[in-house]
Amino acid sequence: MIKDITIGQFFPGDSVIHRMDPRMKLILTIVYIVIIFLCKNFWALGFMLLSLVIMCALSGVPAKVILKSIKPIAIIITFTAILNIFYVRTGEPLLDWHFIHITTGGVFTAIFMIIRICALVVASSLLTYTTSPTQITDGIERLFSPLKFMRGGVHTLAMMMTIALRFIPTLIDEFEKITNAQKARGADLETGNLVERAKALIPVLVPLFITSFRRAYELAFAMECRCYHGAEGRTRMKIMKYSKLDVFGFLFILIATGGVIALNMFFRHVV
Amino acid sequence: MSILKTDNLTYKYSVGTPFEVTALDSVNLEVEKGELVAVIGHTGSGKSTLIQHFNGLLKPTEGSVLVDGQDIWESKKTLRDARFKVGLCFQYPEYQLFEETVFADIAFGPKNMKLSDEEIKERVMRAAEFTGVTKEMLEKSPFDLSGGEKRRVAIAGVMAMEPEILILDEPTSGLDPKGRDTILRLIRDYRDNTGSTVMIVSHSMEDVAKIATKVLVMNRATVMSYDTVPETYRHAEELLSVGLDVPQITKIFMDLKRRGLPVRDDVYTVEQAVAEIDRLRKEGVNV
Repeated sequence: MIKDITIGQFFPGDSVIHRMDPRMKLILTIVYIVIIFLCKNFWALGFMLLSLVIMCALSGVPAKVILKSIKPIAIIITFTAILNIFYVRTGEPLLDWHFIHITTGGVFTAIFMIIRICALVVASSLLTYTTSPTQITDGIERLFSPLKFMRGGVHTLAMMMTIALRFIPTLIDEFEKITNAQKARGADLETGNLVERAKALIPVLVPLFITSFRRAYELAFAMECRCYHGAEGRTRMKIMKYSKLDVFGFLFILIATGGVIALNMFFRHVV
Repeated sequence: MSILKTDNLTYKYSVGTPFEVTALDSVNLEVEKGELVAVIGHTGSGKSTLIQHFNGLLKPTEGSVLVDGQDIWESKKTLRDARFKVGLCFQYPEYQLFEETVFADIAFGPKNMKLSDEEIKERVMRAAEFTGVTKEMLEKSPFDLSGGEKRRVAIAGVMAMEPEILILDEPTSGLDPKGRDTILRLIRDYRDNTGSTVMIVSHSMEDVAKIATKVLVMNRATVMSYDTVPETYRHAEELLSVGLDVPQITKIFMDLKRRGLPVRDDVYTVEQAVAEIDRLRKEGVNV
């Protein structure tokens, strides 16, 4: 169950997408998501889908891995589609039976929504697949650096995010180790009703909490030993620089935006 | 009949993904009852993966594991039996303590075995006495103990289940020499007193030489050798070639031999070394 967590799943590689500046990737991902919502007909959406396929192909991340990112939201997609089919009442009626009315408009909207949500999820997972968690938080920190005057500061927030992301795999590891240790002592975690199972988790959760606190203290201590004192006067090991790749990326999304606007104008709107 | 047997045991991590790794490659092994087996091997050689198969925490990708002649993956019942027959104590076991008192923590295993209250109490007392956990300590919270005490409590927790095979993963890591000797003595006494089979995973060749009867050498997902201690250290050169260490005294004797002294090549404790040098002196060799 805990293995299904895919936040910040990084697929190492050396593709053009991997090499782009994380700040540019963050901005372009957001822009891309906005444009998906601007699409008004299948031509525009198809165009966006095409550009997404091109980006995925460029990233070198296997199609299977990319499609896996849709799996966790399958329920939401189905639910949205069903709602749209039954509640949108535009276009020609397809079925009229007692209280069920299905129209062409409903079916089109449903398909439209499915494609839209999938594109949205794939685009954002493409970001996490091609950008390591540290790069993402670094990028966020740099993008929000104008907000430095805020209390606590952007740096602290970014550092907290980095640490949290960094420790997810460690905690999962720890969880599995402790689970195995308690299973070896005969703990039964798989059978029983909800209450029994929740109770069975106590022998795992107590050591896990204690370990997390221990780790937190150790980390804080280690950071202090290395004279960490926040953002003040801190320089970076990896200095982010925009390159030609980022210009190309920017142009790519610009063309996609232009294409969507044009296609929106030339063809009839569906939604 | 052997108490523990693996038949063509193969285990692969992340099957069907690009990250597939073979951690165990058709391992065939037979451990006799009452042995004290030391498992040695480089990091990533498959030691930990192997021992987690013995009580059914990992399911073999291919092949089978037999405890007491019974395939442990035959049914749910055989699997559960294996959990209690084979006691596994992980590395740094002190991090698995969770109960309010030391007593309750040691009783966790026996309780899971659905034993009677008296039986549980008896077993806890026995394990506590054995591991040197005092009566006062039993009432304390396990989190108030020192590192070495916690380790002993955790080991007591596994011993209280009185498994036929006791497996300990790196039981001495992170302890000072005194703590290490205490734990090793305890493990040997446990085997001598109960006649159980004991298996310890270790990095310390000195530890292995001190207490083991058999040594299982793992290398690159396979069993490199499974033999008695003197036989294993007779092949010291091979051990060194796969990046494993041998006791320092063995290294000295390897050197002596290279310099032309007619010494035995299976010396692995200081006592043996003294005896050997005495022998050479008596024979009139100039040492």
